[in-house]
Amino acid sequence: MTAARDVLRGRLGLPELAELRPGEFAAEVKREQLPAVADQAAGAGLRLATLFATDDGPAKGCALHHLWAAREPPGFVRIWTRVPADSPRFPSIAAKYPVANWFEREVMDYFGLVPEGHPNTFRVALHDDWPDGFPALRKAFADEQKVPRVPGNNPHPFRPVLGEGVFQVPVGPVHAGIIEPGHFRFGVAGEPVLYLQLRLFYVHKGIEKRFEKLPWRHGLFLAESISGDTAVGHALAYAHAVERLTGVEVPRRARYLRTVLLELERLYNHVADIGAIATDVAFAVPASRAQVLREGLVAIQERLFGARLLRGTVALGGVKCELTLGRRNELLVHLDRLGREFDDLVKLLIDSGTFTDRVDGTGVLGTQAARDLGVVGIAARASGLDLDLRRDQPHDAYASLRFQVPVEEGGDVRARLMVRAREVEQSLSILRQALEGLPEGPSFTPLPDALPASSSALGWAEAWRGECLHWVQTDEEGRVARVKVTDPSFKNWPGLGRAVPGNILPDFPVINKSFNLSYSGNDR
Amino acid sequence: MFRILSKSLKTGVVTEKDPFSSRPPFGFPVIDFNSCTACDECVAVCPTAALQTDRPAADRKTLSLSYALCIQCRECVEACPERAIHPGREFEVATHSREQLMQRGSFVVDPATGRASFRGMDARPGPSLEESAARLKERIKGRLGRSLHVRQVDAGSCNGCELEIIATANPVFDLERFGIHFVASPRHADVLLVTGPVTRNMEIALRRTYEAAPEPRVVVAVGACGCSGGIFGEGTYASLGGVDRVVPVDVYVPGCPPRPHAILNGLLVAMGIHQARSGPGGAELAPQPVGASPPSPHRPLMPVLARGTPE
Repeated sequence: MTAARDVLRGRLGLPELAELRPGEFAAEVKREQLPAVADQAAGAGLRLATLFATDDGPAKGCALHHLWAAREPPGFVRIWTRVPADSPRFPSIAAKYPVANWFEREVMDYFGLVPEGHPNTFRVALHDDWPDGFPALRKAFADEQKVPRVPGNNPHPFRPVLGEGVFQVPVGPVHAGIIEPGHFRFGVAGEPVLYLQLRLFYVHKGIEKRFEKLPWRHGLFLAESISGDTAVGHALAYAHAVERLTGVEVPRRARYLRTVLLELERLYNHVADIGAIATDVAFAVPASRAQVLREGLVAIQERLFGARLLRGTVALGGVKCELTLGRRNELLVHLDRLGREFDDLVKLLIDSGTFTDRVDGTGVLGTQAARDLGVVGIAARASGLDLDLRRDQPHDAYASLRFQVPVEEGGDVRARLMVRAREVEQSLSILRQALEGLPEGPSFTPLPDALPASSSALGWAEAWRGECLHWVQTDEEGRVARVKVTDPSFKNWPGLGRAVPGNILPDFPVINKSFNLSYSGNDR
Repeated sequence: MFRILSKSLKTGVVTEKDPFSSRPPFGFPVIDFNSCTACDECVAVCPTAALQTDRPAADRKTLSLSYALCIQCRECVEACPERAIHPGREFEVATHSREQLMQRGSFVVDPATGRASFRGMDARPGPSLEESAARLKERIKGRLGRSLHVRQVDAGSCNGCELEIIATANPVFDLERFGIHFVASPRHADVLLVTGPVTRNMEIALRRTYEAAPEPRVVVAVGACGCSGGIFGEGTYASLGGVDRVVPVDVYVPGCPPRPHAILNGLLVAMGIHQARSGPGGAELAPQPVGASPPSPHRPLMPVLARGTPE
């Protein structure tokens, strides 16, 4: 294990690199060194997985953390620096690494720290009527307070459009369909979209602050509610973080069952999304078929695990569900039938010229743009980026299962559809392996009574949309001091903003659906 | 074309004849107060403070359970040493106020042993909880009475409720057969189906959507968060809490998320209210004003040290 540390230390040109636990490294650097270390990391092929700040109390002040993901040797490297109270600023890396753009502005909004040299220092998370000087994630900010509204305090700068026949189309926050709220501002010239600006964070619920207030065991339920369609993904990421923090080993059976749950979540979402893409091009028959398949899945999930959307199935230290032999076979039979029906569904779609005409070459996100923006998950794999934590940094039972990571090059709606379709095949194979090889034994390891004091750990899970990261830090008394939640949507929304211009406005719904990003996970 | 036709013919009808025939393995927890000793184990494990105890006098104790806050996590069922909490299978819960979702048992505490014994109920769940099945049949019978246009508003939800609302329209549940349609604008809507918690950033949008809907309008709050703020709390800097903190609510549909059946049930109840309010004297059937229900209890901010043993 130390070999991996030495390799990474050498690549990053650091004098010291601590190995906190397998696959997790950390180093403190001087504030002014951050950009140079970022250059080293990016040059060595690491990618920025998340960026966040912490408030470590009045004595220590704040800290800024860059979390880099290395593929070979696999590991997450956290480069962090102190930000003293008398100088609340840090050097920005966003001009060079666009993935840091929203992250740094979020730190600015919620911690009041200034990203120096950031090319765009407008608010990203705070809305117009939020007053200046209320950094919500600082410790001095009381959770239960009503922050006054100051209308027009900080108007969001929408790009002006000028010229004949050129105009803006504002959409949202309340949309016409049954989807989450967010505001889109299109600049259009007739039908073609010139640009798309996103105004999100309408559903900011203060989740990261809430984690600090809830008992850590209850954080699991909060994690399930970060994004309703990723209950298992976020619960697993949080559970992994807490288990790594306490050093608890999850029993083998529980790891297999967790894999089953995560793949079922992937299945029902992918099937629903493929149907929704068909809906958005008005292809009703496959859309209805997909809805029926999805409903069949959530119904069997409810029967076997007690919850349609798999809530309350993951526990800290294991799982809270059991799968008897009979029920396991029932699930296997259902999945076999689903596999056959799903093949028919995909054939129905891609053999139809009227359908492929709408999805081919629509909403292209190029490989370089996807890499620069730090896009992850299905959107990344559809744009030619071969990333998947299930293979690259395996969690749960993935290290002992055989599967492929489908990658498409097109970057268009078709590619995102095909990544989903091929992942469904892989998921079915993973599920078959995990269910047939389900080990006997306990499905739960009890956790200690308290978390270790002044410690931190990272948990990750490759959920259906992409990687969910939870970084959990405790204070001197073992209470949760900070939970940084990174939903894949946060990195993928700018990718959508990039994929839409050049397409016609009526294609926006299908492009949006092909990404299917979470507003709630993004806004938290 | 031929393949599509043959597929449709082979598939046949997938719609459930009676959408209320299936029962979930776990709906809301049910307390058997006669076996309960008010030991507080369930209160300690409840993540949303749906379970609360109070000590109004030295020799008295109460235990209350609010379905408005319950996220159906099953922790209390497992934590109860007396096995007095059962996984109830009730799910088609829809009430007209938050209080109706609350039940409270009263206990006498023996000063010598400190042991609590059940004395009686202070509050019972609202009538629609127990009579919901009977009411439902009536509603389904009268479903051809008129149609109902629904505008869904996500005022801060995690998207779980939206997934289940979308599911009500799928071919299996097919809510259109009850004359219920989802519409694209609040100006076309009879009913606003609102999920929560209402966030600070959605408060104004929700209020404007409400004002845009023509009278008589009915508001249905969906989900634990829409009913009470749920796990996100009520009155934090970002979450205002339940929908009734911002607009008057007629029907509460709890659950995390509520099953599509429960949402359908809530809409059928809303249809009844809408019919009554459209008739003579209907304007008097007003919902409770905003902020009428007491705020959700806040959990004491302390770490739970071990399963069921708070500091």
